Amino acid sequence: MITEAYASAGAAGKEAAASGLPQFESSVFASQIFWTFVSFFILLMLLRKYVLPAIETILDARASRIADEIQKAEAGRKEAERLQANFQGQLVAARQTAAKMMEEARLDAARMKEQAHEELQQELTKKKNAALVEIEQAKHKAMEEVRTVAVELSMQVAEKLIVKSMSDEDASRMVQEALTNLGESQAQLH
Amino acid sequence: MNFSLVAEAWAENAPNVAVGAPKLDPLHHFQVVNYVKLAPFGFDISISNSVVWMWLAVAVAFGLFRYAMRAPTLVPGRMQSVAEAAYLFLDGIVNDVIGPSGKKFFPGIFTLFFFVLFCNWLGLLPGSFTVTSQLIVTGTLALSIFVLCIFLGVYHHGWKFLGFFVPHGLPPFLLPLIVPIEVISFLARPVSLAVRLFANMTAGHTLLGVLFFFTVTLSWFGAWLPFGFTVVFSGFEVFIGFIQAYIFTMLTCVYLNDALHLH
Amino acid sequence: MESLPASLIGMGLAAAGLGGAGVGLGFIFGKAIEAFARQPSAEGPLSKYIWIGAAFVEAIALYGLVLAFIIMGKGG
Repeated sequence: MITEAYASAGAAGKEAAASGLPQFESSVFASQIFWTFVSFFILLMLLRKYVLPAIETILDARASRIADEIQKAEAGRKEAERLQANFQGQLVAARQTAAKMMEEARLDAARMKEQAHEELQQELTKKKNAALVEIEQAKHKAMEEVRTVAVELSMQVAEKLIVKSMSDEDASRMVQEALTNLGESQAQLH
Repeated sequence: MNFSLVAEAWAENAPNVAVGAPKLDPLHHFQVVNYVKLAPFGFDISISNSVVWMWLAVAVAFGLFRYAMRAPTLVPGRMQSVAEAAYLFLDGIVNDVIGPSGKKFFPGIFTLFFFVLFCNWLGLLPGSFTVTSQLIVTGTLALSIFVLCIFLGVYHHGWKFLGFFVPHGLPPFLLPLIVPIEVISFLARPVSLAVRLFANMTAGHTLLGVLFFFTVTLSWFGAWLPFGFTVVFSGFEVFIGFIQAYIFTMLTCVYLNDALHLH
Repeated sequence: MESLPASLIGMGLAAAGLGGAGVGLGFIFGKAIEAFARQPSAEGPLSKYIWIGAAFVEAIALYGLVLAFIIMGKGG
């Protein structure tokens, strides 16, 4: 069919030779005008219905996606900044707490030291006083004993005097003896 | 036709021409051939090779975009990246030239660019047909844009649209001289728009045709040079196809901008 | 004059338009290189306009080609 068409067109071309270029042959104009319009509008409709909306949709989607991402990144950055500030505040607070605790512990330790010192002092004082009292008592007791001994001695002396009716010399000698004894016993005590 | 007769005569006399070589007429592949004759109500809508390749351009353009955007993901694949880059490229043109009020023309501009681009590029396939090398196709597009611009201008500005032809700060005595020039340059817009694209495509393919013609007719030690040139020029035509589609689109934006915002 | 040789001459003359396009392209790329030499950082934003300008200038040359094709149709 196509070969026949070419053959007939070739014959027609020879007939219409005077028009020069095949493009100037007006016999085929009408159908080409018609089909140019039809083809153009079919392509226009097809592209408008199936292609352009798809491209627009995807471009818009990408644009909004990118805007979203930028917004999200911005929000993330702000959140991070807020967290950092928060953390910084917590850090400062913790540092202050630690300092306070240190101070308290130091004060506690000082107070405890003071208290222990005081208690020790009191104990020592008490012990010293007890010792002093004891010494006093011992001294008193010793004096008491000495007095008792002296009294006994005097009693013995008086007894002897009475028994023997001793002479003066004897008497003075005996007193002297007694005194010496007393002195000795006193020396023993001290 | 004398030119092709000359070429045929040369080909017949030239040595070493391959037997059964295709018609050695560089203009042969611009020939529109009706495959199916259709004329309901006397209106000719025959399906020719030009129409078939128009459909193919539509199918390829739509198919590539549909394939690229079959399952769009937030992290794009290769095809999706290209589709998005194309979208942003055209969005950039429309925004730069027309501004925010061009948003409602964006689908049309997008379609226009890819319709022209794929017509240009599919025409580079061997054995294919270049739809944009048909003056009537580019003319239809250009005239439609021209009519749309006039309609938009009148719709938005009413009679003030005629002020478009009077440049600001012009001394009154120059008016009879400048206004006709402005009118003519305005009327020349669709012509230049259509002819630029058509002429670029036609010239490029004619050049390729001539080079292939040399390749076939010259003997083997001479044929490699024009054949190498066809390779180079095929690559260049890819670039030209893109640039012309870009210029066609950008000028459309410029004209729309002129109609929307009088200068 | 016969119409075939006349149309051939006319087609050849139409190619003279290439000269103008050549001058234009030379200006564009020459000035571009000059600009980049002075201001290497301008290469990125400017190169877009260079290619657009080159395509425009090239289209002017191709108008000549179209003219040649039209003459080809009228002749003979």
